[in-house]
Amino acid sequence: MKMEEKPLSGPDNTRLEALVQDIYSELVEDACLGLCFEVHRAVKQGYFFLDETDQDSIKEFEIVDQPGVDIFGQVFNQWKNKECECPNCKRLIAASRFAPHLEKCLGMGRNSSRIANRRLASNNNISKSESDQEDNDDLNDNDWSYGAEKKSKKRRSDKNQNSPRRSKSLKHKNGELGTSISSDPYKPYNYNTGVSYESLGPNEVRLLLTTQCGVISEHTKKMCTRSHRCPQHTDDQRRAIRLYLLGPSALTLPDADVGGDCFDVPTDGQALLSRMQWEDSPDISPSDSASSKASTNHSDSRRPKKKKKSALSMNSGGGGVNLTGVGSSSFQSNISLSTKKKKPKTAAPLVPSIYDQLN
Amino acid sequence: MNKESRLKASINQKLTETGERDRLKELLRAKLTECGWKDQMKAQCKEVIKEKGLEHVTVEDLVVEITPKGRALVPDSVKRDLLLRIRAFLTQHAS
Repeated sequence: MKMEEKPLSGPDNTRLEALVQDIYSELVEDACLGLCFEVHRAVKQGYFFLDETDQDSIKEFEIVDQPGVDIFGQVFNQWKNKECECPNCKRLIAASRFAPHLEKCLGMGRNSSRIANRRLASNNNISKSESDQEDNDDLNDNDWSYGAEKKSKKRRSDKNQNSPRRSKSLKHKNGELGTSISSDPYKPYNYNTGVSYESLGPNEVRLLLTTQCGVISEHTKKMCTRSHRCPQHTDDQRRAIRLYLLGPSALTLPDADVGGDCFDVPTDGQALLSRMQWEDSPDISPSDSASSKASTNHSDSRRPKKKKKSALSMNSGGGGVNLTGVGSSSFQSNISLSTKKKKPKTAAPLVPSIYDQLN
Repeated sequence: MNKESRLKASINQKLTETGERDRLKELLRAKLTECGWKDQMKAQCKEVIKEKGLEHVTVEDLVVEITPKGRALVPDSVKRDLLLRIRAFLTQHAS
């Protein structure tokens, strides 16, 4: 071996170079052979031409490279402004707002239970503080203002977004609410809603009552938004509430033909937030008026001035049999407290006489 | 001549024994794949296959057709790099 290596170690560059070339071409041929085997195998197994397509589909799926268009040649934000129709309220909602809307509209979803709980809690607070009003005023004060803050916040958000349910009555209400809130945002909760309801014009109240049941629920303090045939309330209750709100002149109970379509709603607390503070019962009893009196006492303690006014208007209201006339005047005067105070008091004595007439 | 072929045999043996041949082979394959040589060769293969017919093509056909093209298509940089390595190996082990 040593003998043979000697000539190599010498400066015989050409021989060395030939050797290098040989090894190199061997390597390259080896690579080619490997490739050939690979290709041949692929051909015989039938997967060599798998990535081939015909000219048509190549053209069809060609990558598009133009501004404003994705690689498939489609406008990439065409879904951005898509609108979906809500299956519940039939309104068109922007696709991006659809899920939040559904959550509110159907009362299902991530936050709705939380919202419902909060609503329940605040309602409980209200009824409780009504019952033991005189006992602990300070504590009630906190409750009231807390409730008021919450309510106003909720309502604002409601207005900003698509508020889920907007029945006729609700529209009135939202409008009125807006003005009352902006004019005096820090009034206690009870007081506030009372105003907003009472400040509906008499015509609006009448319209509302001709289309809906309108009985005020004991628990939610809301008006029933179902039709006149709603099975939850009796005709007596409806009559009483009409008597109460419109006076004896509007006592006819428009019926039946409105029937079929029930709004499935009264659980929608936020929208129809407790409009009034008295309970619903077939006829409004003295105890009810007393309780409403008690509830207003609280706000009176804050505003001693208005008490006089309310007393005055009560007197004027008590004189006339036609409540609507009185109501409208006081509505327009926009002194919410006075109307609020007057209502229960005047209505209560009226009821028995009306029933006498009826019978 | 006899001497030369024996020299060649001994060199080949050393290439295999040290594992340098495999290393060089792997390096070459990686470089050729990297620089697109493999894709070019596949395109050539496709032409050959279409010419001969999918069912009738043999490995011999492919090798005969492909190898000269493959040798020609190797990029200069790859070739230079490989020659350098082989030369280094020879000078290292031939002494």
